[in-house]
Amino acid sequence: MNHPFQLVEIAKPPAAQRDHPGYLLAACGSKLLSTCLATGNVVSEWTADVGSGQVAVSNDTESTHVGGSERPAKKQKTGNASLATAPNVIKLAISPNHQHAVAVTDDKCVRVFEIHAEGKLLELSQRTMPKRPCAVQVLPDNATIICGDKFGDVYSLPLLLELKAIEDDSPMGSTESHPPQQEASTPFKPSASMQTVHTKRNRKALEAQLKQKNLTPKSKAPLQFDHKVLLGHVSMLTDVAYASREVDGKQRGYIITADRDEHIRISRAPPQSHVIEGYCLGHREFVSKVCVIPGTDLLVSGGGDDWLGIWQWPAFKLLARFDQMRALLHDLIAKTNGSNVEDQGNDKEPIEQIAVSGIWIVPATGQDGTSKEHAVIVACEKVPALFYCPVSKLLEQDAPWNLRQFRYPILDITSVGTTTLVSLDVRGEEQQRIVAYRLKMQSSGGTDFQCDEETNAKLMGLDCVPSDIVDAKGLEDLLYGAASLRKRGHQDEDVAEEAG
Amino acid sequence: MPGPPKKRQKRDEKQDGDMPQKKYYRQRAHANPFSDHDLTYPESPDVMDWSQHYPAFVEQSGNTSIDKDRKSEDQNDASPPKMSKQIEIADIGCGFGGLLFALAPKLPDTLILGLEIRTSVTEFVQEKAKALRSQNAAAGLYNNISCIRANAMKFLPNFFHKAQLSKIFLCFPDPHFKARKHKQRIVSTSLNSEYAFVMKPGGKVYTITDVEDLHLWMVEHFEAHSSFERVNDDEVEGDVCVEVMKTETEEGKKVERNDGTKYVAVFRRLKDPPWP
Ligand SMILES: C[S@@+](CC[C@H](N)C(=O)[O-])C[C@H]1O[C@@H](n2cnc3c(N)ncnc32)[C@H](O)[C@@H]1O
Repeated sequence: MNHPFQLVEIAKPPAAQRDHPGYLLAACGSKLLSTCLATGNVVSEWTADVGSGQVAVSNDTESTHVGGSERPAKKQKTGNASLATAPNVIKLAISPNHQHAVAVTDDKCVRVFEIHAEGKLLELSQRTMPKRPCAVQVLPDNATIICGDKFGDVYSLPLLLELKAIEDDSPMGSTESHPPQQEASTPFKPSASMQTVHTKRNRKALEAQLKQKNLTPKSKAPLQFDHKVLLGHVSMLTDVAYASREVDGKQRGYIITADRDEHIRISRAPPQSHVIEGYCLGHREFVSKVCVIPGTDLLVSGGGDDWLGIWQWPAFKLLARFDQMRALLHDLIAKTNGSNVEDQGNDKEPIEQIAVSGIWIVPATGQDGTSKEHAVIVACEKVPALFYCPVSKLLEQDAPWNLRQFRYPILDITSVGTTTLVSLDVRGEEQQRIVAYRLKMQSSGGTDFQCDEETNAKLMGLDCVPSDIVDAKGLEDLLYGAASLRKRGHQDEDVAEEAG
Repeated sequence: MPGPPKKRQKRDEKQDGDMPQKKYYRQRAHANPFSDHDLTYPESPDVMDWSQHYPAFVEQSGNTSIDKDRKSEDQNDASPPKMSKQIEIADIGCGFGGLLFALAPKLPDTLILGLEIRTSVTEFVQEKAKALRSQNAAAGLYNNISCIRANAMKFLPNFFHKAQLSKIFLCFPDPHFKARKHKQRIVSTSLNSEYAFVMKPGGKVYTITDVEDLHLWMVEHFEAHSSFERVNDDEVEGDVCVEVMKTETEEGKKVERNDGTKYVAVFRRLKDPPWP
């Protein structure tokens, strides 16, 4: 059994040779591999360390001695076997100048790497966030990381740590920072007394609180590194994107955030991220991915709805919808069942519900083979197929969206030059886990995926790196999180109100 | 959740124009604002139908049919009836609606909406508004208030457009004493950004509480937010809304009976800064 590559990115460090095709960074469980696309050699292999960040327990015998006995719930958590293994890489981003990579591991740790001219990765820093990040990006200044967590907060962090920042005792030293971390460190004092609380409901709450033996809040110490909270959602945050556009000859930056409650929010970029410019509203199910199309004012969104939104985001306007996702999937399933293609390894049950798991913009060549185009590619969770459409035709009346079948579900996509690299959920040895394609526009208006054999040959080395699946259940959680964003309706309320 | 059958039955026995009785509409005090509930909300303010809430303010237009035909072309869903006025005042966590009923006759031309997360409490306010309307039909009062069940911490932008509101009331919000629960407070830096979004520059947020710590928390968070400034004492003193908020809210009355302190703070929505 092989562990698939959950994340792929391309880095072309500026110090590398001009015509060098770059390096493929691929995350495989807790490993991060760098492969030279010129030679096919795996030039760097990094594994997330177990003891990093705040999770310090490495095995079960130890855990019984940790934390004392007052906090059984906590102890149980640290003793959890899945945390004893090395943390998985859950997010990967490359700085716009390709000098640094940022990886997030599921121990909540943001790790910055320097990418050397020969593709080697050098880990520079580890910063443990209060909550597990669900989106990360390096801004065009090549100096700022923005990072959102599913509890709704979006932070900015300097890409590179200044040494003094660790000594500095003012972690939130900015006007835009949230106070929440600040009050956590001061010892707890009841915020009301029996004399100052007059209503029954408030008195009850206070009574309950005074009953607690330990009056010091359990909240964590303030973060020991420089960071700012840029904005927050009460809803569960799913994706964060940065966008910019020119207005009156000046560049304006925006932060676009998506949440489980169907919202796409457009805020100003720091230092004015407290200003919400507007919302792109129209989704009826969770939004799991937003993707800004570079060089345009367009944004593609998707999630639990069986359609994709094409928005003119500066006007908060839905310009077009691709409504045929379900129809195309059904056609494909019908075709597959009819032709009875040998073992797909995937059951051909009709697609019940759609959960968009990725939206990418990739290069495509025009009919003449040279002119340049771009295409939008969309993956849905556990679906062995990709939706795609040329960017230039997205707004056409019957935009030529297509569906390309694969043998395995698609995990991640990246591109370099005219090549698109597709990482598939292959667990056996029978096929390469990352496959290179070229997208070519057809005269019919559609686009075709053609195998890029030259690049594929360079990817063979990756398959020689041993990568066992340690934790099968954990792997499912690592690869497939989008479908669980769907709301369950009525049941939730009963539980919540009873527990209230 | 409609509540136990008995209460439900009692509520249904009520005749048109009768005032609803609170005891049949009580509900567990705390609802978790983070859980999904079984909320209904419009996908955007454009599709919200307010006509049931403010029937007296539905725009009377002669050629509605033509209007409808044109709309159905570019929009599948039928557009909601046009209103002659937009909501301008929101009472967030309105409870049994004391503030709404007191403000309604004072500002008869302004649409006021209560947002309340508890279903039965919302129903009570809706029923009481109906009863008051029919009792005051001659004077045409109480047509300007209504209440919706909503989680105001998540869905304000679904109900209100940018810069729509001129006043937001946050009266005696749940205090959530425990530090761990502070995230559930109705005031926070991120929520303040959402309040700012739905408010007109120059609009005001009114806060009142009997819990000093919560008062300090609200002051701290609004003052730290670049979209708001605190309104000075003189201006607060002279504001009739402050008086109403102190004396007419259910909680305000309880605190009064117990000789408690009421902490008031009002904040003004500032203009957005020019882009850097
Ligand atoms: C202490 S009561 C105050 C009621 C009223 N404002 C008064 O002053 O009498 C707080 C109210 O806020 C409501 N509430 C709490 N969280 C809410 C939310 N996220 N959205 C809407 N209402 C909420 C509660 O259900 C409760 O009725």
